[in-house]
Amino acid sequence: MEYIGEHLLPGKLGHFFILLGFVSSLLAAIAYFFATNNRNHPSYTSWCKIGRIGFMVHGFSVFSIIAIIFYIMYNQYYEYSYVFAHVSDDLPMRYILSAFWEGQEGSFLLWMFWNVVLGMVLIFTAKSWEAPTLSVMALIQFFIGSMLLGLYIYIGDEPMKIGINPFTLLRDTQEGPIFASANYIETVAPMANGLNVLLQNYWMTIHPPTLFLGFASTAVPFAFAIAGLWTGRHKEWLKPVLTWSLFSGFMLGTGILMGGAWAYEALSFGGYWAWDPVENMSLVPWLVLVAGIHTVAVAKATGQSIRSSYIFLMLSFLLILYSTFLTRSGILGDSSVHAFTELGLEWQLVFFILFFLFLSFGLFFIKMKSIPAPQKEEASSSKEFWMFIGSIVLLFSAILITFSTSIPVYNSIATYFNPDFIKIALPADPVAHYNKYQLWIAILIGLFSGIAQFLRFRESNFKAFFSKIKIQLLLAILGALVLTVIIYTQEWIYLRAWQYIVLTFALLFTIFSNLNYILTFLKGNLKLAGAALAHLGFGVMIIGSLASGLNKSYVSNNRFLGEGILEKPDKNVLLIKDNPTLMNGYRVTYLRDTIVSSYTKEYELQFEKLDKSGEVEQAFSLYPNVLFDKKTGKLAARNPDTKHYWLRDIFTQIYLPEVESDPEIAKAFQDSLEFKIYELAVSDTFRTKEHLTFLEAIDYHPTQNPNYEAKDGDLTIGLKVGVKSLKRDSVYYAYPMAVIRGNRIVRYHSQINPLAVKVKIGDDIFDRLLIPENELSYKEFVLKQGESITYNGYKMTFENFNNAPIHPSYVPKEEDIAVGANIKVDHPRLSESRTVEPVYLIRGNVPFNLKDEIKDWGIHTRFTEINPSKKTITINVAQTPVRQQKVIVELAENSLRSDFVILESIIFPGINFFWLGSCTMLLGMLVSMAHRLK
Amino acid sequence: MKTKIKEFDTIKTIRSKQDDSIFSNFAKKIVTMKKSHIIGIVMILAAIVILTLVAGDMSTYATFKEAALQPDISVKLSGELVKNKEIVYRPEVDANHFSFYVKDSEGTVKKVILRAAKPQDFERSETIILTGKMRGDEFIASDMLMKCPSKYKDEEVFVKARS
Repeated sequence: MEYIGEHLLPGKLGHFFILLGFVSSLLAAIAYFFATNNRNHPSYTSWCKIGRIGFMVHGFSVFSIIAIIFYIMYNQYYEYSYVFAHVSDDLPMRYILSAFWEGQEGSFLLWMFWNVVLGMVLIFTAKSWEAPTLSVMALIQFFIGSMLLGLYIYIGDEPMKIGINPFTLLRDTQEGPIFASANYIETVAPMANGLNVLLQNYWMTIHPPTLFLGFASTAVPFAFAIAGLWTGRHKEWLKPVLTWSLFSGFMLGTGILMGGAWAYEALSFGGYWAWDPVENMSLVPWLVLVAGIHTVAVAKATGQSIRSSYIFLMLSFLLILYSTFLTRSGILGDSSVHAFTELGLEWQLVFFILFFLFLSFGLFFIKMKSIPAPQKEEASSSKEFWMFIGSIVLLFSAILITFSTSIPVYNSIATYFNPDFIKIALPADPVAHYNKYQLWIAILIGLFSGIAQFLRFRESNFKAFFSKIKIQLLLAILGALVLTVIIYTQEWIYLRAWQYIVLTFALLFTIFSNLNYILTFLKGNLKLAGAALAHLGFGVMIIGSLASGLNKSYVSNNRFLGEGILEKPDKNVLLIKDNPTLMNGYRVTYLRDTIVSSYTKEYELQFEKLDKSGEVEQAFSLYPNVLFDKKTGKLAARNPDTKHYWLRDIFTQIYLPEVESDPEIAKAFQDSLEFKIYELAVSDTFRTKEHLTFLEAIDYHPTQNPNYEAKDGDLTIGLKVGVKSLKRDSVYYAYPMAVIRGNRIVRYHSQINPLAVKVKIGDDIFDRLLIPENELSYKEFVLKQGESITYNGYKMTFENFNNAPIHPSYVPKEEDIAVGANIKVDHPRLSESRTVEPVYLIRGNVPFNLKDEIKDWGIHTRFTEINPSKKTITINVAQTPVRQQKVIVELAENSLRSDFVILESIIFPGINFFWLGSCTMLLGMLVSMAHRLK
Repeated sequence: MKTKIKEFDTIKTIRSKQDDSIFSNFAKKIVTMKKSHIIGIVMILAAIVILTLVAGDMSTYATFKEAALQPDISVKLSGELVKNKEIVYRPEVDANHFSFYVKDSEGTVKKVILRAAKPQDFERSETIILTGKMRGDEFIASDMLMKCPSKYKDEEVFVKARS
């Protein structure tokens, strides 16, 4: 079958580059392998050359694949399933990057992209390390590249899938009668998924590339570790690997932190860290990497800990692979909110991990004997001893986190062997579970990093040295003690258990100690202060997380409801529009909601902080918003808004009433409403079970209905309907209205939210109240200003012109020439007079006139002509009998109120210490790296 | 003969000397054990102790019956939403009260009260994982993770609600 509008060339080209990239990575790996093994042989140079060409071709292929994917995404070629899944016609182009790495295939390519970049840097800078490291890098690329192959291998009858080709056509992946049509693309185009609305923000643009650069960068220390073992240069690899490890630690750390910032700023998680499996498994490789940085520093300075350096740096990369496996295999299934969905690559990923596990540790055990380790032990008073212990503590932390996070893996393995296996549940409260143990890790790290900073490598005369540093250490201990006591007694941080007091002390100790070190030993020379900065930052960061976690409190907590059901406080409060609500020292008012773009609605909430006497101390507004899905109109994402202070944040998000967040529910609800019909004249009343309703007035110029927007030529009628609850006194008004616009009648209902009553106007309202123009017989009069005429006994006096006439069906335009005639009408019997103002109008050289009426006298007037030379005007007058004005009012009770939001508002005290501390820590790594680059 | 005996003696003495040296070396090793080894052993012991403690936090998914037996302990429970029973959330009455019915793995159906706002698309969820306690005949949940079929493909969407 010939399909119309398909673009198959980019796909074929892309697939070619996938294969080329795959083969060339293997070629590069093999060539560099032989180069390494012949490193002292003349053939080294030519092997290297082949390897280089292989890697360049590979790099070119990867860039080409990416470029082609962007090309088909940019041009919205929906015949490709990847485009169909991640792009849609209305996706703004600024999100094309996000759409690219939203899927697994794209994110594998992002990973490969960074590996190519890092590989290129190595080719130009690694010198004698080029061959072995590039051999490893190319081999890693070979494995990741296999994830994109999209091959099926038949072993027996079962096809085995190797990789997913991002250029697969939609019609090859999905079945359906639609593909029987040659023109299917036009049909499927509007059905394209596009980027998940939740991900349509700048975080999705910056977070994945940073995190993946972090992921990719762990491959470089791994490659150096393999290279060191392979070539037996157990000491020489330490220098380059330290710089690379610091870079990797900085990048991966930044990526993780950015994820936390995203979760906190833009998502509705209500925090920056939740010990979710996906978060955990990005943290674990970083912890091990940081342990590795410490042992490498020790090894470089003293020759100790070379073996552990190998182990840590190899493990860090293997854990990245494990983390990839957990997030991409679907194994986390029911335990994580943000894992990828299953693609059927789990066995391939397992093979990926096992291959590199056996390769690296196999090589390590073969070469272990040859790794030098000094006979002399490190002294307990030396820096290297405490750094080593610190690394072990970090490893411990990593093991603990991995142990609990891997529960789904144990379940899968056990179920594989025993299908009846009863699955182990994850810890009921993950935050409490992890914090309980990690608290001790933080205490130990605080203490060690505070002490080790002052110690020296290869300490030989500790006594003499100790007298030098004694005072500084004492100062730090004293400072930490005093501040801990102040924090505890002043409740700056609510330290509710003794463990927290110990932790606070340990953290303050490292803060003071490292600060002291920077000031007294380094004399403020920040170039050398990398390590001290990082440790200082660590202390400040954990203090911040303690403060924000332990002192976290809810503004939106209504103490009087639901008390005592759970130990946790209730966190939501109902906020009715324009109804100031008091909660925990704040008065919060939901002021308004505005539609800011076609799918975004923003809510303005006013917060007023009250002092003890109830006076407003401070006021500010927050603007949380909600996003709706463009296809279904359903609520798709809720974005919080946060008020930042130096010492605390007020994080605020809202939930909407169901009828506001789901059009289906809203429609079903509307349909289920029972409207009862009443025929009323003005001031008639009727009673229902709960309400007393009366027609207060008929309004021919209605302005009160919030849903109505005036347009030129509209003919409107509105009612003012009063409703009073039989139980309470206050009267509420509804303003239903009807409009004739063109040939259609549109009715606007009106909701009285406090009573949950909805009022509509009968659809025959115009037949009841308006008299068709052709039933009128007008009489024409010509008169000057000040003159009067008599019509059916009514005396009509033309009083004056009005150059800025106001008329309900007239919306002024600049080009208009409009003039109104004020005519006073005296009733023949009643001593009452009224004024009418018919309008004469010239718009675009065409004259119009707009009539004015006195409804209850049945008088109709038109201003049809103006004669400037004679200074006269022509008016037409007609009279009709006054009708009995009865109208239909439709009323539904129990119409849910929808003028509210549900508020969740959390105070995070001291959260800025967390951000400040973590940034300082990462900055410390960057400073160390930069210092070593020189 | 004599010489043979002598030979035998020497062998014997050599052997006992060897035994001695093995033994004394071992003893020496314990005494002069490297600090790193001691640290290693301490670490391994600590790891065993802590991992046992950690494992204590883990359990299998409970049923309503089991949860009722230990009303003071928060448990994890996996079950299915009963779609034909009422799902009630009336924020105008209590914004933190959301109730529905869940069938656990044994087929027991109980009313669940989640102390939080109603998550969107709740009606479409299938598997529900709850954290909470039994109180009387109701399960009071503090945390809920629900799994629902996605609107587009076979992929599943997870929604989390916490209180």
